[in-house]
Amino acid sequence: MKIWVVRILSIIGTLVAVFGFEFFMRGLVAQDQSLDYIYRLAVLAGLFVTLAVSLNLINGITGQFSIGHASFYMVGAYAGATLTNSLYKIQPLGPETWLFVVALGGAVAAGIAGLIVGLHSLRLKGDYLAIVTLGFGEIIRIIVFNQPFLGGSFGLNIADKNDKSLWAVLLLAILCIAVCRNLCQTPHGLAFLAVREDEVASSAMGVNVTRVKVTAFIVGSAFAGAAGALLGVYDGLITPDTFRMDVSFLILTMVVLGGTGSITGSVIAALLLFSIPEWPRFMVEGGKPWQVTGATLLAGAICLIVSVYLVKRTIDEYHGPQRTKTLRIVGIVGGGIIGTVLLGTVFGLIPVLANRTWDVGALRMVFLAVTLIVLMLIRPQGIFGHEEFGWQKAMKALRFGKPGANPT
Amino acid sequence: MDVLLSPLAGLQMDFGALPQQLVNGILIGSIYALIALGYTMVYGVLRLINFAHGEVFMIGCYAALFTSWAMGFTATGMQAAKPPTSNIVTLLIMLFVSMAVCSLVGVTIERFAYRPMRNQSRIASLITAIGVSLLLQFGGQLFLPPLQQNIQAEVNPFRDTISLTLRQAPASLKQEFKTASLAQKAAEERLAELAPPGALTSELSPEALEVRERLSELTIKSNSLRAQVNDASVFVVIQKGKLIMFAAALVLMIILRHIVLKTATGRAMRAVNHDFQSASLMGVNVNRVITYTFMIGSALAGAGAMMNSTFEGTAITPFAGVALGVKAFVAAVLGGIGNIPGAVLGGILMGVAESLVVWVGLSGYKDAIAFVILIVILLFRPGGLLGSSAVEKV
Repeated sequence: MKIWVVRILSIIGTLVAVFGFEFFMRGLVAQDQSLDYIYRLAVLAGLFVTLAVSLNLINGITGQFSIGHASFYMVGAYAGATLTNSLYKIQPLGPETWLFVVALGGAVAAGIAGLIVGLHSLRLKGDYLAIVTLGFGEIIRIIVFNQPFLGGSFGLNIADKNDKSLWAVLLLAILCIAVCRNLCQTPHGLAFLAVREDEVASSAMGVNVTRVKVTAFIVGSAFAGAAGALLGVYDGLITPDTFRMDVSFLILTMVVLGGTGSITGSVIAALLLFSIPEWPRFMVEGGKPWQVTGATLLAGAICLIVSVYLVKRTIDEYHGPQRTKTLRIVGIVGGGIIGTVLLGTVFGLIPVLANRTWDVGALRMVFLAVTLIVLMLIRPQGIFGHEEFGWQKAMKALRFGKPGANPT
Repeated sequence: MDVLLSPLAGLQMDFGALPQQLVNGILIGSIYALIALGYTMVYGVLRLINFAHGEVFMIGCYAALFTSWAMGFTATGMQAAKPPTSNIVTLLIMLFVSMAVCSLVGVTIERFAYRPMRNQSRIASLITAIGVSLLLQFGGQLFLPPLQQNIQAEVNPFRDTISLTLRQAPASLKQEFKTASLAQKAAEERLAELAPPGALTSELSPEALEVRERLSELTIKSNSLRAQVNDASVFVVIQKGKLIMFAAALVLMIILRHIVLKTATGRAMRAVNHDFQSASLMGVNVNRVITYTFMIGSALAGAGAMMNSTFEGTAITPFAGVALGVKAFVAAVLGGIGNIPGAVLGGILMGVAESLVVWVGLSGYKDAIAFVILIVILLFRPGGLLGSSAVEKV
């Protein structure tokens, strides 16, 4: 009985939080039109969380190496756009309810695509499956590129867009997280984990490997498709270039960086990786973007390399108490920052380095790439590894330093 | 379905143009093969898809470009009073610099990005490779010339073409064309006698007007006959530079084959490919073998980059490596990844398949054909065309 109370309370809590956030954001936008951009970022962040968590279901939880997730995103987007363009005028539902229809349509279309790819996963393993999913994504993109009725390279316009759909995006993300989390706690989910650990052994234990793999592909791609449909309706324009291979790689990176199989990891990595390229956009000084000189850049690069080397060596080879280890790492990072400032001042005396400047916005993708490499070098198993960071962990973390205080 | 198949309605198969397209495909395929070799060698020893290989190729393009600039082949240099002239030595210097820079970059990437990841899961190395690839693309965007660049056409001294006729047009048709063109020439001469060049119509005598009218008729006739002769005969036109490119690619592949099969390093590579653990237990210096592999593979990419941007005249941008890298990677998988002859075969098949798609008239799908072939191959022969264990692998 109690579990139902918790369930209902958490659903109500989620709804309140989502709509509260929506009204807060709308209030912000109503106050200052330029904050529309923030609203957009929130929508995109929500979509990337959905994408990362749904890919995690395929990649992390079931262990099928898929790197073509952007194709499902794309199928959903085009399905949703076509649906809206052809049926929106004659539908009796309001624009809010229509979002559900669109998301469902995108999910169904992408689910079918997922079924097609998932069937291949029965024959292929590892790298080869990865290559097929990648190729599938590119083929779909190029076919759409050459179809005049889908807008070709110019993209498809959606006349009846709904740019107040943050709540739907957030609900989708939370639904996706909830489905994956709850799946992992049921016997069905154990079958998924078993397939990841050892396919042969799990099939010997009576797991229907075929069904598990295909289900994972269908569910994962359906969520990606729903996300795509919402993107199309929010933006009002989708082009094949929005769904290039880079997007697939970015989503895959979110999953691996968060720790394959860890849903919380995927969420946090998605937010992190999505926001890193966006920060430089807000680094403005007197209305102009920050200028980075060659001196700062060189100093930063040198200090980064040195401190990454030292941190990695500390992690791998230092065997003292945990507290000293943490302190050392903090010290190295702090030293790196101070070193950057000092070295930057010294290099600033060299005219060649001091005179060459870049807008900080031009560096955004470089930041992303560097973060990726550094995080992978320092923590190859991802931020959370296979672990989850749930309420229990949070409780434990809050009572840090008092062992035995946690009755669980 | 009708809508999806609509482009098929516009199919055009001109069998006279087929040999030309096949030759083009084989020539560009040799470049794909050079780059595919780098993917396949690295996969062979490390089981890692080296996503940064396309960017190594891109750096090779820029190395060749800057070398050509250093030798005076800039846009302004070509308009100078005494523009530099190019010869085989220029090309060899560019090739050497490009290969050297690429091997350096490849070895550096391996040492600092891949080696620390070697004991981790393969997907972690893969993500690092993606990171390195992004870093090189966007870092390149910061430091390299902003617009797309081309190596000056004058760098290539072998721009003249050779033409190979496979089927002659019927003799009667050729005779007719000859007569028509002679008549046209005669009329031109007559007109030049009657009227000075640049004369206005009002100044012309009636006879000159008549000759001029006849001349325009004759020109139309001889042009249409020329088109008929061209349609009836089958010929292949190749730029000499591209033949040299193909020959150089072949020479490099033969050298690679020699290294792999006949030298101690090559034997060590094959051993590591066969079994990483046992090879290191048997005293093979695995680190050194991997360094050599990256060095050779990247040097081949550098050679491909230099030849592609010089002889094919492809534009150079910091993102030039992405599309070509993907194609070369597909070529490597097509032939059986980890397999050297397979990469060569795959590269050439890729080139031919692409030009066939263009020949059929579906040039919009040129980039998709790679993946279609790939998926079909993987579904029916997952090891690739030559991917069975019977073939020597590296």
